[in-house]
Amino acid sequence: MSEAPFRNPGWAGNTGEFDLAEADVRGVVASDGPPADGGHPSVAPSLPYMLAAKDPAAPLFEGPHLERFEKIKSRYPTARAALLPALNLAQELRGFLSPETMDEVAALLGLSNAYVRGVATFYTMYNKRPVGRFLVQVCTNISCNLRGAEDVLAAFLAHAGTELGETSEDGTFTVVEAECLAACGFPTCVQINSRYFEDVGPADVPGIVDRLQGELQSGAAV
Amino acid sequence: MAYPYRHDREVRVMSEAFGDPAARTLEGWKARGGYQGIARALEIGRAATVDEVKASGLRGRGGAGFPTGVKWSFMPREQNPGRPHYLLCNADESEPGTFKDREIIRWTPHQLVEGCLIGAYAIGAAHCYIYLRGEFFEATGVLAQALEEAYAAGLAGPDVLGSGVQIDLTLHVGAGAYICGEETGLMNSLEGRRGEPRIKPPFPAAAGAFGMPTTINNVETLAAVPGILRHGGEWYRQWGTEKSPGTKLFCVSGHVSRPGNYELPLGFPMMDLIEDVCGGIPGGKALKAVIPGGSSVPIMSADECESCELCYEGVAAAGSMLGCASVIVMDETADIVKQVRRMADFYAHESCGQCTPCREGTAWASRILRRIEEGRGKPDDLDTLLQISDQMTGTTICVLSDSLAAPIVSAIEKFRDEFLALIRRGERVGAA
Repeated sequence: MSEAPFRNPGWAGNTGEFDLAEADVRGVVASDGPPADGGHPSVAPSLPYMLAAKDPAAPLFEGPHLERFEKIKSRYPTARAALLPALNLAQELRGFLSPETMDEVAALLGLSNAYVRGVATFYTMYNKRPVGRFLVQVCTNISCNLRGAEDVLAAFLAHAGTELGETSEDGTFTVVEAECLAACGFPTCVQINSRYFEDVGPADVPGIVDRLQGELQSGAAV
Repeated sequence: MAYPYRHDREVRVMSEAFGDPAARTLEGWKARGGYQGIARALEIGRAATVDEVKASGLRGRGGAGFPTGVKWSFMPREQNPGRPHYLLCNADESEPGTFKDREIIRWTPHQLVEGCLIGAYAIGAAHCYIYLRGEFFEATGVLAQALEEAYAAGLAGPDVLGSGVQIDLTLHVGAGAYICGEETGLMNSLEGRRGEPRIKPPFPAAAGAFGMPTTINNVETLAAVPGILRHGGEWYRQWGTEKSPGTKLFCVSGHVSRPGNYELPLGFPMMDLIEDVCGGIPGGKALKAVIPGGSSVPIMSADECESCELCYEGVAAAGSMLGCASVIVMDETADIVKQVRRMADFYAHESCGQCTPCREGTAWASRILRRIEEGRGKPDDLDTLLQISDQMTGTTICVLSDSLAAPIVSAIEKFRDEFLALIRRGERVGAA
């Protein structure tokens, strides 16, 4: 992990009392990411880690991803229960869930297309259209709101060069407002792809945007 | 290293290892006394395990405060053929103001794994699903590693600690829906459906996940269980009150100098929490209001906070609810109308849409509150809001709509002048 351009990234607290490295705070354990086959079956439904490369035409599912899909199905008494993990995996591979992707997942699990679309559109984390390389979700709910979350949101929109809910022209940033992210003690909390950035003030935003662009260039983006 | 923040009045039974990465590993957790609770449970047997938790008086930490041991005892004693039991761990933390479960998961994952093993054993479940909030990628990664370690060490799987007892655990992640934190909504979501709550009865102990006998417990509840098994129910009762035994994580956010998670004995005075433990309100500003238990509970005025004790019965006596002890502090600059409107936006967004009073009521309330906030309120808007809130209370499958009605009604009751000022003159607190 590179040096953080701002205080206590992903961590709570701004007193300077805390001296752990960012990787320790985040619990980053494997530099090459989790295994594509999902690891142990007990955790296979749970690892929708953001892949660096999204391919809207990626097959559902092949190789290690098929293994992972089989492991997922083995953990539930019904095929239907594998639907959310399967949609997670499909989104991980393709970056978003098109109606056609939903239909493919439906066929894999023996569910009707209409049923799967009804489920997929219920949940906010399923992207129904492509999003930028970085999905920036700024919490504006009460605890963050009391401490200036709306200014943080405005700063992200300004520095990412996009409108709320839209993607920047170069495809790098999509900025959206999020509901409470369960990190209320250290507002504002911002989720960017799989990572939390806590204790973010408007002044921290340019540094975060620069860092993300640097990660993109160096190939270290997650 | 210092976990931000610590305070010497804390009793860190389950949070001692927060901020210590070494405690995340199986080895590190065992060195801190880990997995002695499940060993003792297996030794004393199922019924005695339930009794131990009953004796501790532990109450569910997800908000309702129902006694955990009693809940466990609702499960059928013997498993009927073809009717497997399930334990669900609710890790879909998403109540605004609440940020305790994520800390437990990412700092002490084995504490939760052990709690799940004990809970599953106590209710005769061979499978426990941990339903994690989808946004918790990092915490999920930490927990996944702990689970792999537990399987490799024979703590989970077909033969837990060589006892012959089978307990499988599976991590299941959600995909972004507050309503999946409601127990039956969670069950539907786990089954691959929209997270729409179910009508009760049947209650989960009779027909829950996959139609089978099911118990669902919050992360913090299950994380408290290993200590209780290890040290005994009486040990746990040395803290807290008669009706609210033990310690609890208090998530403090908003206008305080030292926000964060503090583990304190239940019954702790609210003003001590705000002024002493959390360092008071920055800039010497005056306290205006507190939401003591997450966004779904009635707002308390500063006066009501004065003598309030933070236990289930103490906060109830002060006219609100302890909920999950998510204390949101607002100083004199806080704009109550705006914050209630923001909560209304949240509930309108998160309503699953099954029940008309909720689907329509949350959206109407959101629109009316925004109109008031923007200085376009009408004289009868407050009466309309109160009427809508009344019809949103006790009329739906789950309590999501009640959860918006409570802050609206309490805010209008306690801060009516702020609403009226905006309606009459377009004036807004905090506006220059």
